[in-house]
Amino acid sequence: MIIVSIIAIAVLIFGISIYNSLISKKNQVTNAFSAIDVMLKKRFDLLPNLVEIAKQYMAYEEHTLTNITALRTKALDPNATEGDKLSLDQQISTAVSGLMVSVENYPDLKANDNFLNLQRTWTESEEQIAAARRNYNATVTSYNNAVMMFPSNMFAGMLGYVPVSVLATTDEERKNISAKDLFNK
Amino acid sequence: MATLINEALVSDLEVLRKKIAIRKIQGWSIIVAGVIIIVVASMFEQPIIAIIGALSLIPGIVILIKIGSETTVYKNRFKNEIIGATLSNIDPSLTLAPTNGIQEEEFIYTQLFTKEPDSYKTEDLISGKHDKTSFYFAEVHAQYKTQSQTKNGTKTEWHDIFKGIIFSADFNKHFNGTTVIRPKDLSSSIGAWFSKNIFSFGDKDLIELESEYFNKNFVTYSTDQVEGRYILTPAMMEKIAELNERSHYSISLSFINANMYIAFPLDQNYFEAPIFSSLLRPDFLSDDIAILQFMFNIATELDLNTRIWTKQ
Repeated sequence: MIIVSIIAIAVLIFGISIYNSLISKKNQVTNAFSAIDVMLKKRFDLLPNLVEIAKQYMAYEEHTLTNITALRTKALDPNATEGDKLSLDQQISTAVSGLMVSVENYPDLKANDNFLNLQRTWTESEEQIAAARRNYNATVTSYNNAVMMFPSNMFAGMLGYVPVSVLATTDEERKNISAKDLFNK
Repeated sequence: MATLINEALVSDLEVLRKKIAIRKIQGWSIIVAGVIIIVVASMFEQPIIAIIGALSLIPGIVILIKIGSETTVYKNRFKNEIIGATLSNIDPSLTLAPTNGIQEEEFIYTQLFTKEPDSYKTEDLISGKHDKTSFYFAEVHAQYKTQSQTKNGTKTEWHDIFKGIIFSADFNKHFNGTTVIRPKDLSSSIGAWFSKNIFSFGDKDLIELESEYFNKNFVTYSTDQVEGRYILTPAMMEKIAELNERSHYSISLSFINANMYIAFPLDQNYFEAPIFSSLLRPDFLSDDIAILQFMFNIATELDLNTRIWTKQ
C-alpha cells in the first residue's frame, strides 16, 4: 500500500512538473517575442535623430531619408502586427545600410561625432536584435520539442498548444560583423 | 627573441646560476652523506660514528642557508631583467609585478569555478594594452581540502580547483549581467539535461546555444538569455572554440562587469629562473615567450579591438 502511494505521489509530482514546464515554456515564447519588440522599439527610436543629422549633410539622399521616416511611422502604428514590425524592420535595415554606404560621399557627415555615435548605437541595436531573435528561436525550439515529444505532448494536446514557427535567420545573424565594412575605414 | 636580450646580462646571471647550482649540489651531497652515515652507524650500533654523521649535516645546512639569499637575488633579477626585457620585446606596454597576482576575492568574483578555495596562491601579474584592449593575467593555484576520519585520526587531502593562468580583458561591448562558460563535466551535463527536459527542476540561467561544438564542450549560463547571446555571437563562439582547441586543457570563461575572464589550466610554472639548466641554451625562454605571445594575442584572436559598438 505504501509503495503504491509513493509511486502515485511520484507520478503526480512528475505530471505537475511536466504541466508547469509546458506552461512556463509557452510563457517564455511570449516573453522572448516581447524582448524582440523592446529592441525594435529602441532601434526605431534612433531613426528620427539619424534622419535629422543626415538631412543636414546628405542633400542628394532626400528620397532615402523620406522612405526611412515613412517606414518608421508604419512600424510604430499601434495596429501593426508583430509580423509587420519584423518585416518593416528588415526594410528599415536595408534602407539604413544603403544610407551608411552613401555616407562615404559626405566626408563632413562621416566626421560628425553625433553621427558616429548614432552609427555605433545602430550597429549595437542590430546585434541586440539578432541576439533577441536567436533567443526567440531557441525558446520556440524548446517549446516545440515539449509540444511534440512524449509525455509532454499529452498535456500539450489537452491545453491546445501547437508548434510555433521559428524566425528566419537574417543576414546580420549569419555574417560576422566587420568593422571595416560598417565604417568603411 | 632570446637574442634580443642583453648578452652581458645573461652571462652575468649565468655565472650566478652556476655558483648557486654548485653550492646546492655541495650542500645536499653533504646532507645525504651525513644521513647515510647516521643510518649505517645506527644499523651497526656505532654511536660515535652516528654523532660524526649528525655533525657533518651542519656544514651542508650552512651552505644551503648561505646560498638562499643569493638564490632570491638571482630569481628576482631573472624576473625583473630577463622576463622584463622579454615583455618589452613583445610589446612596450607590458609590465610584470612578480609578487602581485589576481586576488582571491577577484578569483571568486569571476565565477569561473564553483568551489571556493581553502588555499590560494598567485604571482607574476602581467598587465598591458593591445591596441584598444587593456588586459592583465597572472598565475594562480587554488585548492580545496577534504577531511575524512580514519583509524589514525583526521586525514586531510588537498585537491586542485585550478592551476594555471587567469586572463582578464576589457570586453568590447556593454553588458549588465553575468555570463559564464564552463567545461562540460558529468554534474553540469546532468543539470543541463534537467533544464532542457524537465524545466521545473533545471537551472533557469542555462543557455542552449546554436553551436554544436559549444553545447558539446561547454555549459553556458547567463543571468540574461538575450544578453548572453549578444555577447556570444556566432562569430565569438567560433573564436572561443578555436582558442579552446589551441589550449591543452579545456578553458573556462566569464563575462562580468565590463570584463571578460578566461581560465587556462596549465601544468607548468612559468617565468621561473632555472637553477640546474643553463641560461645560455638558445631555447631557455621559449616556453615563457610562447605563453606571453599567446596571452598578448588573445585580444586579436577574439577580435576585442573591434570597437564598433558604443563602448570604445
